[in-house]
Amino acid sequence: MKAQKDPENKEGKLLNQFVDFGKKRVLEVGCGEGRLTWKYASASALTIGIDPDHSALRIARVDSPYNLHEHVHFAGASANNTPFSKETFDIAVLAWSL
Amino acid sequence: MVHALNEIHRILKPGGTLIDLRPLEDSWAVEVVDSTGWQTIGRLKDQEIGLADDEAANQAMKAAEANRWFSQSKNTEFPFFYYWDTPSDMKDFIETEWDIYEKIDDALFKKTAAAWASANADARVRVRVKMWVAVWKKT
Repeated sequence: MKAQKDPENKEGKLLNQFVDFGKKRVLEVGCGEGRLTWKYASASALTIGIDPDHSALRIARVDSPYNLHEHVHFAGASANNTPFSKETFDIAVLAWSL
Repeated sequence: MVHALNEIHRILKPGGTLIDLRPLEDSWAVEVVDSTGWQTIGRLKDQEIGLADDEAANQAMKAAEANRWFSQSKNTEFPFFYYWDTPSDMKDFIETEWDIYEKIDDALFKKTAAAWASANADARVRVRVKMWVAVWKKT
């Protein structure tokens, strides 16, 4: 029953064409298991993914590529009340979450 | 949703970028694909809750724009495909993962199964999801 999602990587290609993630501080809201995160995070200076689903976050942490461990982090939170100071991020991604 | 957009406005730097990436309900097409090409078999049925979610998201972005938190710089639509090895896998997924958003009726399932069975041995089934991406700048 398992679905293969976007094997052509249309989503990742379009996202990277639309926005320059290079050296940016990125907040991804609704990151889930990190499926989208891995498509842009390597270019960023820092990426933080938040999601209220702790089970999904556990998978995201386990799946985190070794070369991204230093600058990709995940936290249990929702967009309504984030634990971040004002004017912290260059980019916010609403990932299938609005 | 509007509260979340206000919070995102708060944590973004001046001139920061908000990316709104999400699927749009659009009676997504069911297709059979093999090494020779693909064919559209029919369309799923959008459910009320999915249509209402789209409308609520659009209204939230309109409110954020009216509040002068963000202004849109560009947008586009693009296809996002979900693939399954068999029509039964697809049906099971739709009924368990998308049950409140999309329905596949028996006639479409049977038509898909017939088209898949008569296609090449490498045939798979897929759903063509309409995706929306918009880039907004913090104002």
